[in-house]
Amino acid sequence: MQLKHYSLTLLTILVVFFTACQDEEYALPTLEGGLHNDCIKRTLGPNVVGLNLEFAYAMALPQAEGKIISAQVEASIAGAPATYMENRSFSTSASGADVPVTVGSASVNTGTKTEVVFSKDTCAATLRYYYIIPEEARGKTVKFTFSAKASNGQTVSYEMGPYSIAKMDMKLDLVLSDNNNSYISIADMAVYNAASAATNAANIDLVYLYRVIPGITFTHALVSPASSPDYLPGITLPSGVNKSTKIWKVWALRDQHLARLQFGVFIDDIDFEKLNFTGAPDYAINLRAEAGTWVETADGKYRAYIYCNSINNTAKTMTVSIKRYPMQ
Amino acid sequence: MKKYFLTFIAITLVTFAWVSCTDFPVDEDGLLITTRGQCYVGNFELLGVDFQTVRTKAAVIDTTAQTINVEVFFGTDLKNVYPQFSLVTDAKLDPKIVGKVDFSDLANPKVYTVISGNRLVKKPYTVYVTVQAKP
Repeated sequence: MQLKHYSLTLLTILVVFFTACQDEEYALPTLEGGLHNDCIKRTLGPNVVGLNLEFAYAMALPQAEGKIISAQVEASIAGAPATYMENRSFSTSASGADVPVTVGSASVNTGTKTEVVFSKDTCAATLRYYYIIPEEARGKTVKFTFSAKASNGQTVSYEMGPYSIAKMDMKLDLVLSDNNNSYISIADMAVYNAASAATNAANIDLVYLYRVIPGITFTHALVSPASSPDYLPGITLPSGVNKSTKIWKVWALRDQHLARLQFGVFIDDIDFEKLNFTGAPDYAINLRAEAGTWVETADGKYRAYIYCNSINNTAKTMTVSIKRYPMQ
Repeated sequence: MKKYFLTFIAITLVTFAWVSCTDFPVDEDGLLITTRGQCYVGNFELLGVDFQTVRTKAAVIDTTAQTINVEVFFGTDLKNVYPQFSLVTDAKLDPKIVGKVDFSDLANPKVYTVISGNRLVKKPYTVYVTVQAKP
């Protein structure tokens, strides 16, 4: 028994030594021939109409085999007119800055295709593609086929997607002003003054006001027109403005699309779908910068997130950005 | 060799048997019942749906009268607040707080019972909420 154990141990040690003494000689890697390509998506978060989807498409072949003559992207749904592909390839300088090198003529959009024809004799390039999400893509999925051609006749392609395009809308930097542009319409994604609010009474969902009341903290507020007069001090509502909007107050939900700050937080369609407004109040007072409110319109047609970008106590203003999701 | 192995197994079994027979009493919530008899609330917080405090100042906790008095900001949505109790070590609260609580019925203040670590002492605390008055 003991002898067997010794033999086994000795054998193990020998195997380890033998393996450790294997001489691994370095060999230069062999260059793989032919045209190759790769692609990454650079944008994060939900894909909202009007924003872009950014990709970096890389293509290369050995110098001896030829040069790249064109790069093309075909989207399943044509991008908005501003869609383009960079005709410059970027490298990174020692200080980390992007250094562009023009490799071809400006991209041309033809239907669903975007193409760059190379004018420089180059065998490797990485081009960025900016797909501006069109209205037609709302609520659908979109996918892309990147392809490149080389002077030796070779072609390569790379599929990306499908990517879901959000149903929600977005409006940035609406300036609310106490006693002036203080009426918010979620349906219109707009702010109105009292006169305009009277003509759009059916669409007014919230009233903005700023009050300094001794003994209590009121300051900046978003209040439903049908709320208690306690929360609308000094407000005479235009005729017909009487909706009851549900509001949940939120703190520090800094959606990156709305806030444009460093926080990697995004509100997506599913967040609106999962909200529960049962028992929600119809007012939110004492709002601060970087606060927000989830809102549901009286008819239940829309849900929205109103983010407070900034407040100004002197000017009695509040700048907000809105994401809105249609529930029906 | 075999003898050593059997001895090792025997010691392991005895250790396991001894540990499993040691008495660690737990209550119906699976919490350890200890020897502590202290039973009081150390701190009280009230948060709004945005998880920010709705108190205007620190809550006044009277451990003799077993009351908690807290004033909240004007406009606080008392139907949707999260109470937070800090209890003495090993104590627990009844009823448990599992989400938002409706404190809007100011005429009928809510009562929470603190139960000591040894589960023998129970003290009901009444939470009186007042809203900052509008001048």
